[in-house]
Amino acid sequence: MSPRRACGVPAIPQIISPIALFGLCVLGGAGVCLALPRRGLSPQVVGGLIAGLAGGLLMLALGLNASRDQLPNIYFYVFSVLGLGAALRVITHPKPVYAALYFILSVIATAGLFLLLSAEFMAFALIIVYAGAILITYLFVIMLATQAPEEGQEDVAAEYDVAAREPIAATAVAFVLLAALSVMVVRGIERMPSVAPADPNALLADMPRKVDRVLKDAGVLAAGETAAYDAARGAIVVSGGEASRVLTQDQWPRGLTVTNSELVGFNLLRDHPGTIEIAGVILLMAMLGAVVLSRKQVQLDEDAKLARVTQLAAADPSFERVSESPLELVQQPTHGSHPAQGGVS
Amino acid sequence: LSLASAVPTLAQTGFPDALSQVTLAHYIVVSGVMFTLGLVGFLTRRNLIIMFLCTELMFQAAGLALIAFGRYHLDFSGQTFVIFVLTVAAAEAAMALALVVLLFRRKESLSAEEWRDLQG
Repeated sequence: MSPRRACGVPAIPQIISPIALFGLCVLGGAGVCLALPRRGLSPQVVGGLIAGLAGGLLMLALGLNASRDQLPNIYFYVFSVLGLGAALRVITHPKPVYAALYFILSVIATAGLFLLLSAEFMAFALIIVYAGAILITYLFVIMLATQAPEEGQEDVAAEYDVAAREPIAATAVAFVLLAALSVMVVRGIERMPSVAPADPNALLADMPRKVDRVLKDAGVLAAGETAAYDAARGAIVVSGGEASRVLTQDQWPRGLTVTNSELVGFNLLRDHPGTIEIAGVILLMAMLGAVVLSRKQVQLDEDAKLARVTQLAAADPSFERVSESPLELVQQPTHGSHPAQGGVS
Repeated sequence: LSLASAVPTLAQTGFPDALSQVTLAHYIVVSGVMFTLGLVGFLTRRNLIIMFLCTELMFQAAGLALIAFGRYHLDFSGQTFVIFVLTVAAAEAAMALALVVLLFRRKESLSAEEWRDLQG
């Protein structure tokens, strides 16, 4: 099957009427709005239930006009319910630590969706990078930047955590955006192509050593023989022995397939050369920025600074001549370290 | 070896069949709803850390849409691009959290509204 199909011939025409879609957006928006944290008694559970109902009805409506074999399978529903429910909890939970933990759940559910889309490499990269690295950093910062409750005092959530800011306006804006974005869904849906790219094994021609190794491990390749993938025939040609053989695809040992990570790797390094270096530079800059930003700033008052400078100058006779910078440092932070004084004068 | 032998078992349970039955619209809807939830969270929450957590949620939704479209067009550039989404997310998290720690040291509060005098 060719990757390019004729446009405008959806497999399932008009899957959901626009009015139903917008109604569900309104319902979902109302639910999310109610579920946001508020001061005092807040109808969070009711809001969550309404939002969940809207999501469920949306999924139902998406599948209403389709026959059974056109629908995604049960794993899709499991992962999306988990992911969206956890995402709702991330934005509604008053305690930041729990919000971060729910975000991890959402990441894992999204990784499941990636697996269903046969993007195995990205699924595991998502778990490793997000759940393993980024979220742990978030948890550290949350724990560093929260005041511990006083002795004998009840652990109350901070004021800025229990009250949402402008919940109605924000949900209205966001769900209008969602309605606008999902109008394209109304036009009908197409099934995803069921086959891998035109010739998924074409990359085997670029991986002669893998072909050799797999064939040798399977015992197909005798010593002294070499194997090469012939893209024109779609088969492996073994030569170097007494007679050259041709291994068609049904004779290949299991394991002689192009994996997802190999496809992504070839796409990354061949079709987008240099981009990985740009990613490296971005990460390096972020690291430098983080180091500079979070550097410990020693707070010294003016007298202490002067005393320190005279002490240094007395200890080292070449101090003033060689390095001027410590003296500049003394002059400069008078503004920075005392913003209140500067503002008054 | 045990993993390789597990693959046909999954195949017998109809797992790869699932791959042939998926439709693009379902993934786009899930991605859109997740993005919307992230946006609502970013607009409504007042805790700086949760606001950045919500941007991560939006990144994740964008990644899901990229991979779904990449699968639909049978093009692996979608997955390649998600690598860069992850890179930017990691860089953003590092910078944002460093800033948050810095701001917390100044005012002992994570509230975004403490910093409204920064404008202009």
